[in-house]
Amino acid sequence: MTRGIRRLLQLLALMMTLSLVAAACGSDSDDTATDDSGLTGDVFISGSSTVAPISTRVAELFEDVEPGVRVDVEGPGTGDGFKKFCSGETDISDASRQIKDAEAEDCAANGIEFTEILVGIDGIAVMSNSNSPIECLTFENLFNLIGPNGEGASTWAAADSSLPDAPLDIFGPGAESGTYDSFIEIVLEDLAEEAGVEATTRTDYNPSAEDNLILQGIQSSDTSLGWVGFAFAESADVKLIEVDGGDGCIAPNADTIASNEYPISRNLYIYVNDGKAAENPALQAYVDFYVADGLDIAVGEVGYVPLADDSKAEVRAAWGS
Amino acid sequence: MALSTIGGNGRTTARVDAEIYRQGRDLKGRGFQYLLLSALFLASLFLITLLIQVLTDGWPVLSERFVDFFTGTLRSRSSDDALGIGQGLAGTFWIAIFVIALSFPIGIAAAVYLEEYASENFITSVIDVAIRNLAGVPSVVYGLLGLALFVATRDGNSTLFAGGVTLAILVLPIVVITAAEAIRAVPSSLREGAYGVGATQWDVIRTQILPYAAPGILTGTLLSLARAIGEAAPLILVGAITDRLAPRGDGLLSLDQIFDRFTAMPIVIVGWVQESGRDQGFGPAAGAAIVVLLVFVILMNSIAVTLRNRFEKKRG
Repeated sequence: MTRGIRRLLQLLALMMTLSLVAAACGSDSDDTATDDSGLTGDVFISGSSTVAPISTRVAELFEDVEPGVRVDVEGPGTGDGFKKFCSGETDISDASRQIKDAEAEDCAANGIEFTEILVGIDGIAVMSNSNSPIECLTFENLFNLIGPNGEGASTWAAADSSLPDAPLDIFGPGAESGTYDSFIEIVLEDLAEEAGVEATTRTDYNPSAEDNLILQGIQSSDTSLGWVGFAFAESADVKLIEVDGGDGCIAPNADTIASNEYPISRNLYIYVNDGKAAENPALQAYVDFYVADGLDIAVGEVGYVPLADDSKAEVRAAWGS
Repeated sequence: MALSTIGGNGRTTARVDAEIYRQGRDLKGRGFQYLLLSALFLASLFLITLLIQVLTDGWPVLSERFVDFFTGTLRSRSSDDALGIGQGLAGTFWIAIFVIALSFPIGIAAAVYLEEYASENFITSVIDVAIRNLAGVPSVVYGLLGLALFVATRDGNSTLFAGGVTLAILVLPIVVITAAEAIRAVPSSLREGAYGVGATQWDVIRTQILPYAAPGILTGTLLSLARAIGEAAPLILVGAITDRLAPRGDGLLSLDQIFDRFTAMPIVIVGWVQESGRDQGFGPAAGAAIVVLLVFVILMNSIAVTLRNRFEKKRG
């Protein structure tokens, strides 16, 4: 019996040693990189999961310039991010909306001063098949078609009498997606409140977690309707529908989204803790890099719409780098 | 036709056959059997579908860049060559160490005390019920506990220590229950025999009870370890990193990382599944990570079962 136990312990020890060795082999990279200016430090970023990929991409690019600076990023959500930011736990807060008054008061109460930096724009494209006769839709049209009141409507006319009598096949992201939330927030929320219904989509559309499947669905039916992130729809063989958010029909493109003319878009921000930036050169250098190369390269690389050149100039002037 | 040899008379055989095999005999019994069979079939169908789907999802990643994937890190884009689960594996490895170092000794000691020393009174029965209930508490609740105890008290710093200890506490009741059951299963003749030849209580526990109960205890501990490394919810609350963990430059065994920010396999998977809405390449990466985690968990469970079977055979 005791021999059995001893053998068992030996086996366990062997397994642990093996896994230790295997894992140790894998994690010894990156410490040979040369450090140009010798700048070291720690930057911690929390907040919006939508903006997190931008901050992460900027950190990856920044790592090549200043390998001694450690930038960690998490994305629990804009609200959670501000809570941590205003209690001084984080250096930068990612946000897919501007800070609320209550949150700013929190920051003030803890003596935290901050700088708001616009970094990019998240645009959502409404689209149909390239053979579709539809050119432009208003927010009301979209609410009737995609909102909860459209439940059961199988033609465009059934959902909204001002639209043609053609089969309606809707494809969009599922409820787990940020694009789904943004679409509801920007297009449906106000109209749903007016109509006294829940701000959500109808349940009988074709949700998909994969943008490719949404595009395939759009291409499969002549009078389909759907929405995805602009960067993804732009390069696909679908018709981008103009949207009227109250100021006339605007076609989505990088310019109209960057200028905020196109109505279904939201600004993406980072908020920097001024006090920490003043005393932490690593944080200062990271934000300098963010407003320089970050705005030019990283924002587009992770699938968002970069700012127009004059907005970039404004942002850079405001940060003062 | 197994009965055809009983009688020489063909007609008798046919009649007996009909009596036994005729349609409608014990219909309920057979119906029940098929019902059970279909339940089993359905359960395995779900599992197999899931496995196939995850494998087909993750296969491109696993087959193309197997080694890189194991050593890689969290990245912003799925096309990045450095994308991988190295950091997740490191975090999960340390969580396993915490569970082994904390829940196993404490849990087994608590079980020995409850079974061998504690007198049967009101307090012990309350403790017993409490432990059983704790084992059924949803894991997010342990996450909240970890957040309040180990994160909020340290200026909101989410550390590997917080995550590891939280998961160790999470599986502690399971370790106590399984170990206590294994100890309870030790035949009382063993104890009485040992006492009969003059052994002290400590001798009995050390030389008779623990060795005899070892396979059962071991199975329980391995199963609870498998549970701990698969938990995501408590770690999300404790604040495991989802998007980027800068390279630390120190090896896996460096103790510095215990009080540093961390991530773990389930968190990596959750993060990538969410990212796949923005960048579809994260879908296959998540699939591959799930396959790796599943292989680890299944491996641990089968080691547990194999060990138990081997010991039981020896003992029998």
